[in-house]
Amino acid sequence: MSTATRALPGGPGASRVGAARQASLLAAGLLVLALAVLASIAFGSHPTSAADVLDVLTGDAAPETATVVESRYPRTALGLLAGLCLAVAGTLMQGVTRNPLADPGLFGITSGASAGIVTATAFLGVSGPSATLWWALPGALLAGLVVHVVGSAGSGAGLVRLVLSGAVVSAVLNAYVQAVTLSNPRVFDSYRYWVVGALGGRDFDVVFSALPLAVPGLLLAVLLGPRLNTLALGEESATALGASPALTRSCGLLAATLLSTAATAAVGPIAFVGLAVPHIVRALLGVDFRAQIVFSAVVGPALLLLADVVGRVVLRPQELMVGVVTAFIGAPALLLAVRRMRGTG
Amino acid sequence: MRRGMTRTRSGVRAPSPRGFVTIGRAVAVPAARASVVVAVVTVALLVAAAVATLSLGRLGLSLADLAGALTRGAEGKQAFVLERLRGPRLVVAVGVGAALGLSGALFQTVTRNPLGSPDVIGLGAGAGAGAAAVALLLPGALPASAGALAGGAAAMVLVHASTGTGFRDPGRLIVAGIGVHAIATAFTQYVVYAVERDKATVLTAYVNGSLAARSWEHAATIWIVLLAVVPLVALASRRLGVSELGDELAAGLGAEPRSTRAVAVTLSVVLSAGAVAVAGPVAFIALTAPQIARRLTGGPGPHLTLAALVGALLLTLADLAAQQSPIPGNLPVGVYTLAVGGLYLGYLLTREWRKGSL
Repeated sequence: MSTATRALPGGPGASRVGAARQASLLAAGLLVLALAVLASIAFGSHPTSAADVLDVLTGDAAPETATVVESRYPRTALGLLAGLCLAVAGTLMQGVTRNPLADPGLFGITSGASAGIVTATAFLGVSGPSATLWWALPGALLAGLVVHVVGSAGSGAGLVRLVLSGAVVSAVLNAYVQAVTLSNPRVFDSYRYWVVGALGGRDFDVVFSALPLAVPGLLLAVLLGPRLNTLALGEESATALGASPALTRSCGLLAATLLSTAATAAVGPIAFVGLAVPHIVRALLGVDFRAQIVFSAVVGPALLLLADVVGRVVLRPQELMVGVVTAFIGAPALLLAVRRMRGTG
Repeated sequence: MRRGMTRTRSGVRAPSPRGFVTIGRAVAVPAARASVVVAVVTVALLVAAAVATLSLGRLGLSLADLAGALTRGAEGKQAFVLERLRGPRLVVAVGVGAALGLSGALFQTVTRNPLGSPDVIGLGAGAGAGAAAVALLLPGALPASAGALAGGAAAMVLVHASTGTGFRDPGRLIVAGIGVHAIATAFTQYVVYAVERDKATVLTAYVNGSLAARSWEHAATIWIVLLAVVPLVALASRRLGVSELGDELAAGLGAEPRSTRAVAVTLSVVLSAGAVAVAGPVAFIALTAPQIARRLTGGPGPHLTLAALVGALLLTLADLAAQQSPIPGNLPVGVYTLAVGGLYLGYLLTREWRKGSL
């Protein structure tokens, strides 16, 4: 974790990575992503051979095989979208808060979205990911706002402080969610299938309904790249250069909230993609946010799809949901990183 | 205790030493008078909450019936309510609350970390995962509490091993706790997803921390843990007071800070694990009870006895709310402590941050 802290921009020794290196890394990333997409189409709880998949792709396969393989298209698309959203949201949040632990889950945004969705299902008769999406947004925005305000109260910005306010807000919202779900069996059922975080069993509808949140979030993220670079020079330098740190920060958090709400509402809370991808990207590329955002958008989906493929094959014929897989891969990585943390007060 | 040693300017011990509670001329107990008053008030409130637990609601015993039942023995419906329905549950609540309060106070004293308690850094989540594992893999063969014990212990070992500095550095502790919490929660959620709905509901209630349908056996378990651990805590408490001064001073005063810390953390984890085995991971009691106790006495560190009393009072009150609440479906008590504890923690954090003392 400490290497990441030091790698954060601002130091005079911030490394410059040549354009050629960036281009080759991007090509490699895209290749991995393409392989991940192919794997996501080729592997499943029902085994299909590579030849079968090729037949389906060229259009001359038996109808049964075609059905099996084509049923994997929506979840692949969903994995692409959710991975992209979570990774870019994580990069934005870590850049804006300059906190290497920033992640939609730890910042209360996920709990806010959960509370919104549960409220809509229980009291407003709304059901299905497409409809509940719009109820997740106000919950997530409100929770993110409270965490940010509580976490930046007082002087100085501690690394632990934002995490703690996130934990507090998540606790209160979680109590509400538990109260509503446990007193309402119908809501409990839909909640437990959503909260585990899965790509399977969803249609293209869900992908389309998440786009109105994801696309503006992504556009905002791309536009903010240069400003985030200025912000990374430090509050004072950024102000001296004519940038408005407060505006950049609020826009960044707004974009991150839009993106992570889109992903969370569509597939459920998925841990560690938003936390880990920015660290991987920074280690590869250095500190330029414009490049970081593009690379997160490539690495995030690749990682999520690969995790989903692992979940499909590891317990055959049953499936392990992608949210469980990312936690089981991400958490040990976090535990290993703890030892490298500098002491914090 | 510290004030008891104040001397007058001339160096002669003051005739009526402050910080000692005297009974006649022969007995002087070293305790700050303020904390004795607070402790007595807390006990009175606890008794009131206990009476309310037994007497409120449709099945409650009226005060006269309650007095009669306690002195002459209960019969019929009263016996059922007192001996089966609410009595054991109340005794469990007091025991679990006290164990959690004491556990948190020990942990916070010894790690000098005001936000530490075993349940916050993953013991609760680990216990939930353990109970879920039992429900998934060995349904019926083992009680959920056995799984909870194993899971909680495993989580503590994992946190301890991954920080590299034990339980000392708050930052590392919190991050390691996040990791362990994430794995454990993911597993629990998978099990809740995979089993059928009735089992999932029972499991979710247990994972939140519940006191519903507790028997005298549960009560015996937690009180035996308390009876075994409390004397050890009393033995260690003198060295604990010294260790709060910091490692170097403590070592200079002859207390070995490392062994003190190891003993206290072990006792704290044992208390929490006992509580988890009986009631499931009830959130935030271990974290907030010592904080409240410290604010009530104004002393420097958590006051162990008072933290235990406050813990017992908090959990009894929360369970009273859980039993009497109009929300359908009888929510587990852990949901209430999660909400109230979260709010209190948020208040505490903003206040401390404003003062810049955290």
